[in-house]
Amino acid sequence: MTTALRFLIVDDFSTMRRIVRNLLKESGFSDADEAEDGVAALNKLRNSKFDFVVTDINMPNMNGFQLLAEIKKDDKLKHLPVLMVTAEARKEDIVAAAQGGAAGYIVKPFTKATLEEKVTLILKKMGL
Amino acid sequence: MDDTPDNSQPAAEADVHHKIGLLTRQLHDSLNELGYADKLRGSMGELPDAQSRLSYIARLTGEAAEKVLNRVEQAKAQHDYIAAETRRVVNSLVADPVAAVAKGEIFNFLTDVERVTKEADTHLTEIMMAQDFHDLTGQVIARVVNLAATIEEQLVQLLIQTAPPNAPVPAEPARPAHLQGPVVDPENTPDVVTDQSQVDDLLASLGF
Repeated sequence: MTTALRFLIVDDFSTMRRIVRNLLKESGFSDADEAEDGVAALNKLRNSKFDFVVTDINMPNMNGFQLLAEIKKDDKLKHLPVLMVTAEARKEDIVAAAQGGAAGYIVKPFTKATLEEKVTLILKKMGL
Repeated sequence: MDDTPDNSQPAAEADVHHKIGLLTRQLHDSLNELGYADKLRGSMGELPDAQSRLSYIARLTGEAAEKVLNRVEQAKAQHDYIAAETRRVVNSLVADPVAAVAKGEIFNFLTDVERVTKEADTHLTEIMMAQDFHDLTGQVIARVVNLAATIEEQLVQLLIQTAPPNAPVPAEPARPAHLQGPVVDPENTPDVVTDQSQVDDLLASLGF
């Protein structure tokens, strides 16, 4: 599967950004950009077109929850699906992400199959 | 080279040990007198947690190294196999091209190459995934460093307090961070998920 959808990968660890980017590429999503925190992500989202956000939660400057809230209150961005990929495994965090409008939640460490499954599921729900 | 045993080393170590013991005793007595024992005890209570976090780092890095080495060994064995097969098939082709094709040697070889290529791709993906320890251990290390900084801050406060003759002003207690990072001890941590299926079940129960 190869699509023209554009992904933004947000994580403060470059290693994880590269891993997610490579996994998405293996799954057919080769168009992706990266941001190291929520502030940089918002800047990119507001200045360029993206179709999907994959974000970590625990990041400096602006964490994933804050980024999610900013996206969902921005009329131009709120349609974007946000998939949280994080080491935060507390149930209250998962519930908060869902209630905040996240499209999916993956706990680290994860597998290629899990990422592919969640992205595909979210795109299917969106009719893409 | 001088082979004379250096007897001064154990004596020096004993001296350092003795001095550390004295400092510890003085610190303990001072904390009790100044009413700081409880404050520092709070940080010390986090030390077992720091130990389990360091154990988590050791375990994760060890597992990652093991995983990478296993995959590399498998990939190298397959690479060696394909290299040997290539030499053998080339020799067969040179000796009798028609027979090599007729006996299916070429077809079998190409099938092997396709299979091994797919398996090599799987090995490379697994090696890449093994690098996620960098993110997970990085978060845990940050928390341990934060704990060390808290203890340092409290000790500095203690020094400031003991310098002037005025009444001590206690420092603000360190507040725990909201985000916890990786769960290093899931069995003894309430209200956390331990794998993706539990995340999916929780979200499904919420109607997502």
